Amino acid sequence: MGSIFSRILGRLWGDKEVRILILGLDGAGKTTILYRLQVGEVVTTIPTIGFNVETVQYKNIKFQVWDLGGQTSIRPYWRCYYANTDAVIYVVDSVDRDRVSTAKEELMAMLEEDELKDASLLVFANKQDMAGAMTAAEVSDALGLSTLMNRQWSIYKTSAVKGEGLTDGLDWLINILQK
Amino acid sequence: MADFLRQNAGRFFANNKKGENAELLADLNSEYRDRRKDAVKRVIANMTVGKDVSSLFPQVVKNMQTEDLEMKKLVYLYLMNYAKSNPDLVILAVNTFVKDTDHVNPLIRALAIRTMGCIRVDKILDHICEPLRKCLQDDNPYVRKTAAIGVAKLWDLDQERALENGFVTVLQDLVSDSNPMVVANAVTALAEMQESSVSKDVFVVNVAIMNKMLAALNECTEWGQIAILTSLADYRPLDSKEAENVCERVIPRLQHANGSVVLSAIRVLMIFMRYIKSEDFIKGMIKKMSPPLVSLLASAPEVQYVSLRNINLILQKRPDILQNDVRVFFCKYNDPPYVKREKLEIIIKLCNDKNIEQILSELKEYASEVDVEFVRKAVRAIGRCAIMIDEASERCVNVLLDLINTKVNYVVQEAIIVIKDIFRKYPKRYEAIIPTLCQNLDSLDEPEAKGSLIWIIGEYAERIENADELIENFLETFLEENSQVQLQLLTATVKLFLKKPAQSQEIVHRVLQTATNEIDNPDTRDRAYVYWRLLSTDPQAAKAVVLSDKPPISVETRTISPALMDELINNISTLASVYHKPPKAFMGNRAFSADAVKTAAAADARDEEQIIGDAVLDASGAPAPKNVMTDLLDLDFGSSEPAYTSPPVSSSKPASNNGPNYSADLFDMSSDMSGSSSSVFGGMGGMGGMGGMQQQQTQHQQQAPPPARNDPFGDLGGLGGFGQPPQQQQQQPTKPTQSSAENDLLGLF
Repeated sequence: MGSIFSRILGRLWGDKEVRILILGLDGAGKTTILYRLQVGEVVTTIPTIGFNVETVQYKNIKFQVWDLGGQTSIRPYWRCYYANTDAVIYVVDSVDRDRVSTAKEELMAMLEEDELKDASLLVFANKQDMAGAMTAAEVSDALGLSTLMNRQWSIYKTSAVKGEGLTDGLDWLINILQK
Repeated sequence: MADFLRQNAGRFFANNKKGENAELLADLNSEYRDRRKDAVKRVIANMTVGKDVSSLFPQVVKNMQTEDLEMKKLVYLYLMNYAKSNPDLVILAVNTFVKDTDHVNPLIRALAIRTMGCIRVDKILDHICEPLRKCLQDDNPYVRKTAAIGVAKLWDLDQERALENGFVTVLQDLVSDSNPMVVANAVTALAEMQESSVSKDVFVVNVAIMNKMLAALNECTEWGQIAILTSLADYRPLDSKEAENVCERVIPRLQHANGSVVLSAIRVLMIFMRYIKSEDFIKGMIKKMSPPLVSLLASAPEVQYVSLRNINLILQKRPDILQNDVRVFFCKYNDPPYVKREKLEIIIKLCNDKNIEQILSELKEYASEVDVEFVRKAVRAIGRCAIMIDEASERCVNVLLDLINTKVNYVVQEAIIVIKDIFRKYPKRYEAIIPTLCQNLDSLDEPEAKGSLIWIIGEYAERIENADELIENFLETFLEENSQVQLQLLTATVKLFLKKPAQSQEIVHRVLQTATNEIDNPDTRDRAYVYWRLLSTDPQAAKAVVLSDKPPISVETRTISPALMDELINNISTLASVYHKPPKAFMGNRAFSADAVKTAAAADARDEEQIIGDAVLDASGAPAPKNVMTDLLDLDFGSSEPAYTSPPVSSSKPASNNGPNYSADLFDMSSDMSGSSSSVFGGMGGMGGMGGMQQQQTQHQQQAPPPARNDPFGDLGGLGGFGQPPQQQQQQPTKPTQSSAENDLLGLF
């Protein structure tokens, strides 16, 4: 509780930022979500080798949003970015049923990390605009979110291309972080 | 507030427990921008003082994506330094690089592509091609010129990839770019790639490329000018007219303030001069080349040294340059020794009958300085002037006599060595000074000076009344002398005997006896044997051999063979022209192994020997029988110590004695091998064993192929009629042999 207090205090001083990680398998739409949040448009993206980081201003709060590459080769380095993270946005490709189990494994492994034990989890069931997408409940089941203990979490269905559901998720996040 | 205090307190305590890196790690992950920036600065500070901060790699890379240019530069600096130690983590930076090469600010685009190229890790190669292609076609010339160098960096790591992606073609197109800076960098990159390419077709300068380069030459930076001039030097003009055109456009570069530009321009001019037929044009060029060379001497001593080494080369190729500027090369009292030495060399090269007076008084001045080495060189220089310029020899001799009268020990010794050379060059002209020389007999303690004076006494024995006394004087310490002096004494005594048999019978007998009985040095001993046999079999032949006319000596101001000269001219303003060695002799790590260099050097030395040897033989018109002597005396060429640093050749070669002197005057002037081989023989001569001798022989056959010999001792024995087994030669001669030799000699009288 004290730490959240200090973060809000820090924000009053001006240059303090809320740090958010966007993670997920490759091709889930992480980079698209990042730029949708930042510039409000869909940009053409290439696979992220490494990371993107942008400052997103939403409802007077500055978010420092990190979008990490999701390729198998880069996933081991996600851990380098866990420190001082307030929240993780985990993006799942709702159409890609084959790899949802991989997504689960990666998610669970990540949440085990000590550095993330205070971080909130926001799951985006992305690509809802495409036919055959799993519903939020299906994704939640597949990821086994209900089994999570001691974790603030929520799941939203989103479409980064259409810009649907993203703000709802962020609203929840702000609500949680300001508590 | 409590939190604030806690943070501050944390700063003090965490420091001691976890070490600085842990603290930096925390700061790099800080929520606060300024603290992160501060941390990056400290990381770089640690890096520059040599502390290992490579473990912070991921955290530093995290700070790479920023709008803060200062921060970005610092992170890039870190990346260049530590990418090698974290090759796997480098991919974390790729996305940022790619984004930065799309940045609106051309500085950042160029910075990104430059840094990416500097990361010498294979993993990054998969990702560099697209950004590089983009930057090569950038609208901004600054980005294009940076990308051009990037291609060379990629080429260095992976030639295949550079070719597959068509970068080489793009680079070749950039030579025609509208911006001179881009042209210069494209040329730089291509030239470097050409050097390491297998097919050598990456960058071949043709007329079109040359014209593009010439157009860019005047407008690009000094580095660009150097690159362009260096590449121009590789172009071979089709005809004299074209060469003149190129020269005319290069000549303005001689005005540049940067010495490297000037020297590079001079290199181009020197090379293209070969193709120009018009003598007037060449004369004009040479006139224009002098002032810039002179002004190079106003720079720092190191630059002066480089310039002087290059001028030395240029002068050997074009002796008519700088003819009126000898004053510029006069040494200042505070010049460092290496500059003085080079200046002295050049003064001698510039010496002619018009300026000799001036030069002589300058050299005389130098001979009174405190630096002993320099004084010696100055005295030698006077001798070289005398040998070079006939008319000035008398003045030189007078100066030398003045110097001898100073009675400064090393000056006297050096002057005597030099005078001996003058005697060889102008026999019978300056005999009048011999008494003066003899007055200084007692002050001589250096072998070379002693040897020189003994040679003079032997040579002019008939004119020196008390020659036998003088020789006798030296002979008192015969056994203690350096072998060089012993050999000289031996020869001088024999000369004395041949000239004044009446006075010196006893001396010559005693010397030969001592030399054959008591001296272990095979050179001295063997020479004594040869003389002994010679005198005992045929005194007339002995006379013909020992008192033969000496081949004339001359001072060659050219110390470099023409082939090497051309190569060095091609490399003016590089290390090669400073070392006066071809690049392949010291660029061992590239295409040439150390072994290859050694062989090349040996081959070179062999060539030079051949040239010198042939020249001397031709000059003296050596008759056939003396060639036999040459073969025989080949044995002596392996002397453990340079038997007599043969003045004629050595005076023409200031730095080192290259190659044996195949003069007809073999007994008089023994050989001096080039530095390296004589040291090889030094070890072997000391052994004095059969094995060593045989090896010497094989060495000789490699060095200067003489007619085949079966057994060196057989030859020697055969001549003297000793039919003894070779082993005996190595030991003290056995009694019977000795007495027979004695008988032979006595038979003479």
